[in-house]
Amino acid sequence: MKPSVLAAQAAFVLFVIGAWEYGDAVGLFDPKILPPPSQVAVALKGLLQSASFLGDAADTIVRVIAAFLIGAPIALATGFVMGENLDVGRSLSPIFNLVLAVPQSIFLPIFVLVFGLGFTEKLIFGITHVFFVVAINAAAAVREVPHGQVLLARSFGAGRFKIYRSIYMPAMAPQVMTGLRLGIIFDIIGILLAEMYASRSGLGVLLLRWGESYAVDKLMAATVLISLVTILINELMRVFEHRIGRWRQAMA
Amino acid sequence: MSVRRLIVIVIALGVWEAVRRFNLVGPLLLASPSEIVAALVKSWPDYLVALRFTVSEIVIALAFAWALGIGAGVVAGVRPFFGAVSGPLLSSLFAVPLITWYPLFMVWFGIGMASKIAYAVVSGFFPIAINTMNGVRGVDPHYFVFGRAIGCSRLQVVLRILLPMAMPSIASGLRIGTALVVIGVIVAEMLASLGGVGYQISYYQSVYQTGHVYLGILFALACALAANWGLSVIERRFTHWRELQIGER
Amino acid sequence: MAPAIPVVIEARGLGKIFSVERAPIVALQDISFAVPEGRFVSLVGPSGCGKSTLLQMLAGLVPSTTGEVLVDGAVVRRPIPEKISVMFQDATLLPWKRIAENIEFPLEIAGVPAAERHARAAGMLALVGLSEFAERYPHELSGGMRQRIAIARGLAPNPRILLMDEPFGALDEQTRIKMGHELLRIWAKTKKTIFFITHSLTEALFLSDIVLVMSHRPGRIVGVIDAALPRPRTYDIIGSAEFGAVRNRIWKLISQDDTEAGETGMASL
Repeated sequence: MKPSVLAAQAAFVLFVIGAWEYGDAVGLFDPKILPPPSQVAVALKGLLQSASFLGDAADTIVRVIAAFLIGAPIALATGFVMGENLDVGRSLSPIFNLVLAVPQSIFLPIFVLVFGLGFTEKLIFGITHVFFVVAINAAAAVREVPHGQVLLARSFGAGRFKIYRSIYMPAMAPQVMTGLRLGIIFDIIGILLAEMYASRSGLGVLLLRWGESYAVDKLMAATVLISLVTILINELMRVFEHRIGRWRQAMA
Repeated sequence: MSVRRLIVIVIALGVWEAVRRFNLVGPLLLASPSEIVAALVKSWPDYLVALRFTVSEIVIALAFAWALGIGAGVVAGVRPFFGAVSGPLLSSLFAVPLITWYPLFMVWFGIGMASKIAYAVVSGFFPIAINTMNGVRGVDPHYFVFGRAIGCSRLQVVLRILLPMAMPSIASGLRIGTALVVIGVIVAEMLASLGGVGYQISYYQSVYQTGHVYLGILFALACALAANWGLSVIERRFTHWRELQIGER
Repeated sequence: MAPAIPVVIEARGLGKIFSVERAPIVALQDISFAVPEGRFVSLVGPSGCGKSTLLQMLAGLVPSTTGEVLVDGAVVRRPIPEKISVMFQDATLLPWKRIAENIEFPLEIAGVPAAERHARAAGMLALVGLSEFAERYPHELSGGMRQRIAIARGLAPNPRILLMDEPFGALDEQTRIKMGHELLRIWAKTKKTIFFITHSLTEALFLSDIVLVMSHRPGRIVGVIDAALPRPRTYDIIGSAEFGAVRNRIWKLISQDDTEAGETGMASL
């Protein structure tokens, strides 16, 4: 990326923050509605030192990670079978595409009806958010495998395990990573939505409660924090994705 | 084919009904088709009011999301520097769970229609803007030169040449964006609101009227399907030349 | 050049300097020439020498750093669609419009009434021999036909000058030769002034009255060749000794320029 572009991006972000702070200082914004960044920073510091906030954050993080750890492996296995076995793929992919096209969030009330308000409901709602996008990408990744190379390796007498390790894995890695990246983002969205809709603990509950009670500085601090963390996760995984992709290009 | 599909649907409904009739699943978990119909018969006027509320939010939000998304996308597509600056920012923002911003919108715009519309506009905006930008960037620059050479004003170049050329890409952005707007409105209503289909769903859930919850979800799905159908009609109207082109190859 | 023929388009000391990452690059330097009315003038030169930039400067689409362009004695500052039409390697037809609508499009922008637009489009379609395709869409036509439609669209506003930027560059050899014949036929009929860019010496020589030869970095005019071969021309002319002799002269101008640039490039900087 060109330095001028980076500079413009940094300038834009700084400008927004500066204008926001200045707007509050001169009374353009109502600090009860839009508190200045300095006040939000203070609130953020307070939140990070508050045991109850950290407890709710831990609840959310545990749900997100649990849903990912359960959902992703199942999804990878399903996607792999769908990609390898054309019959399975052909019969399952319309269902998958339908599910991806229909908004899952509308069905959240049914999850609450069936599984109640607790951990299970959030976990399963999170898993459905992880599952489909990871599975579809894994199935697509199998199509990236160079079949010529597989045949060649087989003719040299390479075993199944060796073929998977040295041909399948590098070929599939970038697309699988894309799926996992989207999966974790969808996971976070799903868990937070489930918490906001109906829950006893978690960041989502706090957000909605603070919104309804006009605790704007805390609300803003938590919202910005969540946004920054997800952006960071997304960018890190994207860097990783690109690195894998580049390595593969160098091999070819 | 359609007869077979009908049979499948009838059987599915029968099984669904039977599951509830024999009480294999508790009445709080699942509503049978007959219970959903009963809910509809009992309170259809309420749902009509809710539907009107939700649909007007959706229509207003769509107008803003389309106009702002296409406008921003064209500017970012035509001005390469602007696009280079905003493109990565936009795709970073894509990762942000927008739903967490909804409580802030409640603070800023109140608990009425405005906060739902604002949230839906923001969630629909990004895919429309990004697809429009990519579509406009994908147009052969000679079209731009051609337009100016025949005396088009900048606005004419955009409206009469660039936008139609980028239409296939814009249309897929609109498809995603519109779905997000519809869902955004309903989910926002579910979280906190004074009316609308989403409000109905969460209200009836809180009073354990399962039949009404399912009915509300069906209405929500109907909104999403209707928007999707309307869009595909428009899409076919504007991009039929593209399909012909692909068919040729 | 016979002084009796008026000059339609003239370049006077045109220069263009691009700045790439704050380093100025001289793309075009001191380009001057005059195109007499009704003549077919070609510009040949290696790819990347700034031919397209020059053409867009002539059309008033790109400002020059130095010098000026005159059309009918007036300085060109913006596009003048009523006098100049521009064509590119891609036909740039609008894929959602029927062929007739495509030809009418520039007229519509110029505010010509519908009835006259239809009549002119029909006339242009007859001129290029594609009347039966009026109601078709661009994707139903071959590449060569699309370029003929682009010519028809360019001629529809009845301009004085046609600026063509490698219009046949994307076509296969056979179609390209046919299109050359076709263009000469249309030119003879309409008597437009044509300024034609190509990197094919044969094409330039086959089509033109005058061939301008351009060099690379900075783009300069290094030779003006009077291609006074008899007309009407047929494909046979390409094999003639006269044709070969002139083509060799152009080739020498271009290749000489290459070696010169390689050896004395440092000194000239």
